Amino acid sequence: MFSQGGLGSTTFASSTISATVNPNKDFEVVSPPEDSISALAFSPASIPSNLLVAGSWDNCVRCWEVEQTGKTIPKSMQNVQAPVLDVAWYDDGTKVFIASCDKAGRCWDLASNQVIQVAGHDAPIRTCHWIKAPNYVCLMTGSWDKTLKFWDLRSPTPIMTISLGERCYCADVDYPMAVVGTAARGLIIYQLEGKPQEYKRVDSPLKYQHRCVAIFRDKKKSPVGYALGSVEGRVAIQYLNPQTPKENFTFKCHRSNGAPGGFQDIYAVNDIAFHPVHGTLATVGSDGTFSFWDKDARTKLKPSEPMEQSITRCCFNHNGQIFAYSVSYDWAKGHEYNTIKKNHIFLRSCFDELKPRATS
Amino acid sequence: MGRKKKRQSKPWCWYCNREFEDEKILIQHQKAKHFKCHICHKKLYTGPGLSIHCMQVHKEPIDKVPNALSNRSNIEIEIYGMEGIPEEDLKEHEKQKQGGKNSDSEDEQPQSKKQKNEHQNNIGIGSLPTGMMPPNVMPPQYGPPMIGPIGPVGPPFMGTGMPPMMASPAAINSGSLNQGTPTTMGVAPQAHPNKPLFPCAAAITASTSSSTLVGSDFKPICSTATGVSTKPTFPAYGSTSVDQKVVLINTVGASSKIIHPSEDISLEEHRTRLPQYKSEESVIAVTTAESTETNSALTNSTSTSVPSSATLTYAQQVEIGKHQQHQHQQQQQQQQQLHQQQQAVAAAAAVNAAAAAAAASMMPRFPQIGTVPMSVPMSVPMSVTMPPASGITLMTPMAGTQLIRPAMTFGPHTAIMAPTANMGMLRPSPVGFPGFIGTTPMMNPYAAAQMTFPGGPVLTSMVPRFR
Repeated sequence: MFSQGGLGSTTFASSTISATVNPNKDFEVVSPPEDSISALAFSPASIPSNLLVAGSWDNCVRCWEVEQTGKTIPKSMQNVQAPVLDVAWYDDGTKVFIASCDKAGRCWDLASNQVIQVAGHDAPIRTCHWIKAPNYVCLMTGSWDKTLKFWDLRSPTPIMTISLGERCYCADVDYPMAVVGTAARGLIIYQLEGKPQEYKRVDSPLKYQHRCVAIFRDKKKSPVGYALGSVEGRVAIQYLNPQTPKENFTFKCHRSNGAPGGFQDIYAVNDIAFHPVHGTLATVGSDGTFSFWDKDARTKLKPSEPMEQSITRCCFNHNGQIFAYSVSYDWAKGHEYNTIKKNHIFLRSCFDELKPRATS
Repeated sequence: MGRKKKRQSKPWCWYCNREFEDEKILIQHQKAKHFKCHICHKKLYTGPGLSIHCMQVHKEPIDKVPNALSNRSNIEIEIYGMEGIPEEDLKEHEKQKQGGKNSDSEDEQPQSKKQKNEHQNNIGIGSLPTGMMPPNVMPPQYGPPMIGPIGPVGPPFMGTGMPPMMASPAAINSGSLNQGTPTTMGVAPQAHPNKPLFPCAAAITASTSSSTLVGSDFKPICSTATGVSTKPTFPAYGSTSVDQKVVLINTVGASSKIIHPSEDISLEEHRTRLPQYKSEESVIAVTTAESTETNSALTNSTSTSVPSSATLTYAQQVEIGKHQQHQHQQQQQQQQQLHQQQQAVAAAAAVNAAAAAAAASMMPRFPQIGTVPMSVPMSVPMSVTMPPASGITLMTPMAGTQLIRPAMTFGPHTAIMAPTANMGMLRPSPVGFPGFIGTTPMMNPYAAAQMTFPGGPVLTSMVPRFR
């Protein structure tokens, strides 16, 4: 597959882009969405090729194939009549789930290019995740109608509905664990073994609105905790059952480096992704930068050059060779900053950059 | 008195709000931080001094005091230690010191610790303090930029011998429909009370300009002491339509700013309200009772522009089915209530009489009309208990809308009005519109100025925000 250096070794394809648009000299995905990119996901390990799916505010989901050279080929596109808020892959890589503002969850069969509705809420659906358990499979959708619903794709009624108490803002699933962050700084952990059940509600380690959450695994590759990002440029690393309280900590990120005592701009953490191999993580923010971190050594591995606009989402491909991030306006600065700039998705060969540093 | 206070407070730097033990150290700080020439590193004595030095020696203009807060970077002002600080800033600083509510100085760490403790203590007790908790302002920490152990996070959620996750699923309440009753501690205060309590108060302050005790109590929280005061604009604008519970994101302090819309909703929710994503606007509305009503009015009246079919997913249709029966019964009640209401209206406000008459004339139609489009909204007022005051506030703009709408749209509106009116009626006092001071006068002009009322756009902008 993506041999190391596969992306980076070839000559940079789009050298015509000015430095400010692509300051990190990454590979640009061709034919990007027309409006802000709101969801990004790489295909699972079950298929040999790397397919990238992006959902956007122009009501569309697009699919590209990413080649080893860094070249991208547009494969397919679907319009779902409403802005897309999240996408998720089916475990065999043949289908993509789409959560959108029209309160519908859809399933896009890539082979037939058919889209059918498989889920419904009373408010826009913010998140969707595919759950594959030994004894059941289902689609989990989290919505602003303050519920979490589980769908088996054949029935118009959910197999289970769980009340969240607040609007769902972010969620992540890594069987047998699920985490949901809600408005009013709610944080709920679910365990999915047998059937989805609330495990515990957690007092937020952060003082500001939750924006993104990602589950991480331990060395044995079982999920043990999660990273939670807030609008106040801060990420909390939380273990479900910490050995000592000191294992949990928060760190600041995505802030302008003002002089000490000077004025500082604090940006939202828009997305967090854990590297599938190294267990290190990437954060992206409204400040237009991404950063790579090692949570165990508690160090920053790499900062990026700032983009012209916010980075809205990010993801790794299944073997951790490619880091994809989307650059668009995320409305953090309000209406007046909504200059119509082009949206971009960039791909970065990242395997080495995310290696934890050797401990001396 | 004033003198005593002055003696008590430590010298502080006007440029960066930092406090010092001694004025000598303050002066050293200012020379090193704010009055140092960035070219030759010569330390000057004042801002103007620095400016003149740079101009004359290096031929370079300097327009800001280095390392100063953005609102304190004026190079023209001559400050030396504590000398020359503008009177109002001195007072402000003192006030903040004394009140202990300040958010922008360096020494508030202890205070935030205190709040943390409070938070812990209050978890069991519940609502109010916890509701106020989130606004607790974070101390500006100037820690190392790296990931650093920023301290163990609050103890309450540290697993106290919590069973390992996978081991005992049975220990936790089963994830079925009523998860509303949490077993874990600290849930209820967090999820619920801070909604009704704090935002309501905020709304009151916004709509009735005479903010009473409650309002002032809450003030320091929702409008943080300093910095960006963008907040008032929002509630002021929205408060005309309905009471809204706008929760704001607290600012962090004078030396930093969170780049985010001031309202504490997600960027995505913010965005769905924009006109270009309009079809979603009606979708959002379903989540709150108030907005549903306003919005359904919009949907019905502009029946072409917002396709109700698009917004009705099959999930909703299921819901509709559920509610349809219920709704028929309700309608009959509503007809009666409507009569009552009309009388009340007619008696109370002459302006609204027209609306009442119109409503009466439309009566026969309304059973047939109010089926599909209104069924979803209908369900909401029944299930959600809303503050009565807001219910009434709501009705009035409706009346205004009706007047200018074509007859067709009328049925659903009245139907929607009825339950809210009823809620008002059921209250002990015989409620007429004038009973609600503060809201009614604001609304009536709308009703009066029938023709000039720009229906569509205004309604759109009035679509209430969440919470």
